[in-house]
Amino acid sequence: MAQGRETTSPYSRLLRNQVPLLALVAVCVITAVLSDRFLSPVNLNNILLQACVMSVIAMGMTFVIISGGFDLSVGSTVALSGTVATWVMLETHWSVGVTAGIAAGALVGYINGLIVARLRVNPFITTLGSMVVVRGIVLLITDGRPIVGDEGLPDTFLELGRARLFGVHLLVWLPLVLFAVFGWLLHMTAYGKRIFATGGNRDAAFLAGIDVERMTASAYAWCGALAGVAGVMLAARLQSGQPTVGEFYELTAIAAVVLGGASLRGGDGQLYKSMIGVFIMVVLANSLNLLNVHSYWQRVAIGLVIIAAAAADQIKSRNT
Amino acid sequence: MVTKGNPLLAIESLSKRFGATQALDAVGFELDAGEVHTLVGENGAGKSTLIKILGGVCVRDAGDIRIDGRPVHFRGPREAQEAGIVVIPQEMQLVPAATVAENVTLGAWPQKRAFGFLPVIDRAAMRRRAADVLAQLDFHHDLDARVDALSFAERQLVAIARALSHEARVLVLDEPTASLEHREAERLFAVIAALKRRGVGIIYVSHRLDEVVALSDRCTVMRDGCVVEECRQGQFGTDHLIRLMTGRDLEELHRPHKTEFGPAHLDTGSDRGGFVVRRGEVMGLTGLLGSGTSAVLRRIFGAGSEPATVSLRGETRTFRRPADAIAAGVGLVPEERRLGLVMNFSVRDNIALPSLDRLSGSLRLDTAQIDRLAEELMESLDIRPRNPSLPVSQLSGGNQQKVIFARWLASHVDTLLLDEPTHGIDVGAKARIHHLMREFVENAGAILFASSDMLEVMNISDAVVAMRSGEIVARMARGGASYNEGALRAALAG
Repeated sequence: MAQGRETTSPYSRLLRNQVPLLALVAVCVITAVLSDRFLSPVNLNNILLQACVMSVIAMGMTFVIISGGFDLSVGSTVALSGTVATWVMLETHWSVGVTAGIAAGALVGYINGLIVARLRVNPFITTLGSMVVVRGIVLLITDGRPIVGDEGLPDTFLELGRARLFGVHLLVWLPLVLFAVFGWLLHMTAYGKRIFATGGNRDAAFLAGIDVERMTASAYAWCGALAGVAGVMLAARLQSGQPTVGEFYELTAIAAVVLGGASLRGGDGQLYKSMIGVFIMVVLANSLNLLNVHSYWQRVAIGLVIIAAAAADQIKSRNT
Repeated sequence: MVTKGNPLLAIESLSKRFGATQALDAVGFELDAGEVHTLVGENGAGKSTLIKILGGVCVRDAGDIRIDGRPVHFRGPREAQEAGIVVIPQEMQLVPAATVAENVTLGAWPQKRAFGFLPVIDRAAMRRRAADVLAQLDFHHDLDARVDALSFAERQLVAIARALSHEARVLVLDEPTASLEHREAERLFAVIAALKRRGVGIIYVSHRLDEVVALSDRCTVMRDGCVVEECRQGQFGTDHLIRLMTGRDLEELHRPHKTEFGPAHLDTGSDRGGFVVRRGEVMGLTGLLGSGTSAVLRRIFGAGSEPATVSLRGETRTFRRPADAIAAGVGLVPEERRLGLVMNFSVRDNIALPSLDRLSGSLRLDTAQIDRLAEELMESLDIRPRNPSLPVSQLSGGNQQKVIFARWLASHVDTLLLDEPTHGIDVGAKARIHHLMREFVENAGAILFASSDMLEVMNISDAVVAMRSGEIVARMARGGASYNEGALRAALAG
C-alpha cells in the first residue's frame, strides 16, 4: 500500500543516514581508548597514507556499483599500472610513464565495460576473469620481479612519493582534488544522474532515451582509470613497480563502498560516504595492527565486515 | 444464499495501521463455502492489506479471523496455507524451470525408496497426483512441459491447481484476469464455477467491474480502509459500484469526443497495410494477449527487436534507439510501470530523466529549474502526494503512471505511444489518465495506445485498429457515438 509507510522523526532519519560516520567515529574512539599510539602524528599520517590509495580506488568502484555493476579487477589493475608506469618511465620520461600507467588502467576498465555492456556478460564473472588475466600480464611484464631500474627510477617520480606539503604527504592531497572532480561529475551533472538511472533501472533508463551501454562502459572506464591513478601513487610510495601489490584491494574497495551505504543492486550511493567507508576499513586494519591482532585474523575480520555490510544492505532494502 | 451455522471464513472489526495511515478500519467480511465473494475498491482502499493479513504476510493490529467458527492467528504464510487459505497473487510464485507436474505438487512431492533405502521422488505418483488435480480443472496439458514455456493463463491454472493439491478451502485470486485475453478469462470463470461446486470459497479481487457483477455471489466495496457496502448478486451494477468506490458519478468521469482532426501525424506505412494517426486523434490498438500490439509501439520507438520505418509529420524516419525517437518528439509509456520508472529515484528526477540535457546549466544540473518544472507538472496532473522529493516507489499505481506522463510533457513530445496505460490502476485514476490523453491530443498532439481492454479502447479512442498475431485484421472509425463491439470481438477472435 503506497501510503502505508512509517513516518520517522527527522532525528532518527539523520541518525540512520549517518550510520557509516557514526561507525567510523566509534572505531576511532574505541581504538584511541585501547591504544595510546593511535592518535600519535606518525600513526595518523600512516592512516592517511594508507587511505589515500584506497580512496582513489573506491571512487571508481562507487561509479561502477552505482551503475549497477561490480569490479573485481581493480587490485590487479593497480599492479598493472604501477609496473607499466615504472617500466615506461625507465625508457622515456617520468611523465610519459605516469600517463601510460593511468592509460593502462583505463584500458582495462573500458574493456571490462564493453564486455559487460555489449555482451551482457555477468560483471562478477567478467571482472573475475580480467582480474586473473591482468595479474598474469603483470607477471609476464615483470617476470615476477619488482621494477626499480639499474640506476633507479627518475628522481622526480621518487620525490613525488616522498614530498610533503604542509607536513602531509603530497600523495594525500591528490585524492582531495579527485574527490572534488568526481563528486561533481557524479552528483551534480546530467551524466551522473544517468549513471544513477542506469543502475537504478536499466530498462527504464533505456526507454527514457539514455544510452545505457555507454553509461555502463564509461563507469568501468572511470573505475579502471582511477585504479590506474592509485597504482601509480602506490608505485611512487613504494619507490618501485611491484608486481604483487594490490591483492585483495578489490575486496577492501567494495567493502568500503558498501559500508558507505551504496547498494549492490545499483542506483544508490554517495561518493563522500564511500570515502567514509574507506576510512572505516583503513582505521579498522590499523586498529587491529596496533592491538597486535595477528594478520591472519585481520583477513578473517575484513571478510566478516564485507559480509556484514552486504547483509545490512539487503536488510535495508527489505525494509524500504 | 442463506448462511447456516458458522460461515467458512468470518472476519470481524479487523484493523491495521501503517505509520500514519489507517489501512484497515474495523473491517468485517464473510465467506461461505462454495461462494464467490468479490472485493473491489480503488488503489489504497485496503484490499491488498486485507489479503496480506489473510495470507499471513501481515499481522493484524486488532480484530478476529475465524475459520469454521474457530479463531485463527497466522504468524506466517505457511500457517495460513495449513489453515486452508491460499492466495494467488498477480505475480505467481511458480518455479519457471520446473515442470507442470513438479509445480502442481511443489513442496509435497511423493517419495519412495530406491533400492529399498535411498529416498527419491516418486515421479510416477507425482505425475498421477498432478494429472488428477488438473483434470478437476478440466485443464489437460503436457505434465512434463516446463512452466516457463507456458502462457500466462496456463501458468495461472497451474498455480490454482497447486492450491487445490494443498486442499485449499479459501482461494484468494488477486486481479486474476488482468493479463488474460477474453477466451482465457472465460476458461478461468469455468474453473471458478467448478471450484464453487467443490465447496471452495473464493475471494475475488478485480478492477474489471463487469466481471465482478457477473461473478459475484456477494460483493464488498471498500474505500479508505473501510467497508462501504456489501452487495448481493442481482442487486448492483457497474455504475453503482463506481459510485461506491469513488464517491462520484460516472458522468463526471467521461468526456465527449472530437470529430475533426488535423493532418496526418504518424503514418506507419498506410500504403503497406499500416495505419495513420492524425493530429488531435487518439488511435486505439487492440488485440488479445500476444497479438503484437506492444511490439508495434516498441518498434516505432526504437526499443523493439527491429526498428520500424514510419512517417512522422510527413518526414520518413527510422528510430534505432529510444533517444532518437525522443529527440523527434515521440514518447513511450511502457506496459509495466517498473519498466518506465526508476523506482528509487524521486518523482522530480523521474520527470527530468529524458530532458536532462535541456535542464543542464553550463557546469551542473539546473536544480532550481527542475524543481519548478516538477512542481508545475505535479500540480497540473494532480500527482499526489505533492512532494517532488518522494521516491516514486511510494506512490500509488495511478500516480506513478501520471509521473511517466509528466515526464513526456516535460520533454515537449507531441506523439505519445501508450502501452496498456491503465493496466492495474483503479477506476478513478483510470478516468484521470483518459482525461490526460484527451487533453494531450487537444493540444495538437497525437496518441497511439495499445490496450487489451476492449471497453477502454472503445470508450477512449477516435479510431481503432485491431490486431491478431502481428497482423492488422480490422480498422474502425468511431461510427456516430460508439463502435460495433460484436464486429470488433469477431475480428479479434478470428
